[in-house]
Amino acid sequence: MRSLWMAGIVATMGATSMAAQDIKLPLKSGSVRFLVLGDAGTGDREQFDVANQMLRYGRRFPFTFAIMLGDNIYGSERPQDFERKFMQPYRALLDADVEFNAALGNHDDPNQRYFKPFNLGGNRYRTFKKGNVRFFVIDSNYLDPAQMKWLEQELSQSGSDWKIAYFHHPLYTTARRGPEVELRAMLEPLFVKHGVDVVFTGHEHIYERLTPQKGIYHFTVGGAAKLRKGDTRADPSIAARYDRDRSFLLAEIAGDTLYFQAVTRTGAVVDKGSLVRREARTAPAAANGSAAAPAKSP
Amino acid sequence: MLRPLDFYRRTTVAIASAALVVGTACKNEDTKPPAVDPTETVFTDFANRVDKYMQLRKSIVDTVGDLDPTKSQAEITVRSTTLANGLIAARAQAKPGDIFTPEFSALIATLIKEEYKRRSISVQETRGDQQDELPDFKPTVNQMYPTTYPLATFPATLLPLLPSLPEQLEYRVVQHYLVLRDVEANVILDFIPNAVPM
Repeated sequence: MRSLWMAGIVATMGATSMAAQDIKLPLKSGSVRFLVLGDAGTGDREQFDVANQMLRYGRRFPFTFAIMLGDNIYGSERPQDFERKFMQPYRALLDADVEFNAALGNHDDPNQRYFKPFNLGGNRYRTFKKGNVRFFVIDSNYLDPAQMKWLEQELSQSGSDWKIAYFHHPLYTTARRGPEVELRAMLEPLFVKHGVDVVFTGHEHIYERLTPQKGIYHFTVGGAAKLRKGDTRADPSIAARYDRDRSFLLAEIAGDTLYFQAVTRTGAVVDKGSLVRREARTAPAAANGSAAAPAKSP
Repeated sequence: MLRPLDFYRRTTVAIASAALVVGTACKNEDTKPPAVDPTETVFTDFANRVDKYMQLRKSIVDTVGDLDPTKSQAEITVRSTTLANGLIAARAQAKPGDIFTPEFSALIATLIKEEYKRRSISVQETRGDQQDELPDFKPTVNQMYPTTYPLATFPATLLPLLPSLPEQLEYRVVQHYLVLRDVEANVILDFIPNAVPM
């Protein structure tokens, strides 16, 4: 049955009517290029559809790594679940040596930190650097004093041009569950103090890009497999939103600018733009973005 | 604007310890006030019980081995299960109160309830929402946490108020229970009922 399903995916890849891969990113020499996905680990058809779209875009925008925003595996976490909900959907990307860097979500067993393809290195939280960008991977499910102390230390020591934090729970969102205000109270002061430029989160199964909050850009990218249709709403804090289908984000950092493009399960571009890192900003409104297909409320 | 967390912890512990002192004094009016802060005694005792568990845990880990990052999820599962089975066997006689003693439980339950009272309705509702996807089960000592259900996000501003734990252990909220869990083994070590307002 599984082999027939896989054969079906291959067969439909050419036949399915999907939008041509419309790259809105500059593909500058030496840029840091990555994929952003959240709440992916269902193993269902939609996850495979999104994964196939990531592969198609990856052939024209060759990203070298991915950041996973948690809920990497839903339900049981037996070996066969890791195979069905991660290895199989992303096989082609893994074979292309795309490095997956996972954060833990509330559906994730913390023992996922030992699963080598997630690159947590046995830790619940970690930091890593790509070019002039330092990423801080936070475990927002269990923000204990030890992690907070680690985070403050790492943020203060980082000399990287860009500081990007990612974790599972959004500090700002219009989704019905609302933002995680307790996490915001703990994390935002540190982020502001130490010049974090961008925060990526998942948990809400939608796409949102916010206007800068205390100078920090926030993206919710939680629709790599799950979807809550109609869960976003218009708000002055929202620069772009999409909740009609699954989605993921492509990002490219070149110098002081981060370029981004949100793509749906069918390959449509629903948001694109650029933003300038905090220290390099000279004007108050520094994000230039346009939602290619503004979300409509039901 | 939030006051420093240490202020809230000291205030809440002071309230809880005052209740403990008054209760102790009322037991026997001829007894002189205790020379030692009873709260400190309870927390020191808790730390000692955690240490004792960690020593036992180490002896099991020395047998099953440490786990390094691996591509094999099967290896992770086997190791976790082996560790859990070893711990459960070694603590076959464990019962509620062995780590979360009644005195400790009373202090912590008071601390948690006082902390909840300080939070806005929206925060309390969010905390309640975090329980939505959890199974409706009653924890028992040596129970494996159900693997098909998520672990509720721990309230971020509550966690710093609780006594610190080694990284191998964690607190979790399950409905109105505060649970002590071994992370790698996924075993519930102890719990406090009616600790968390719902």
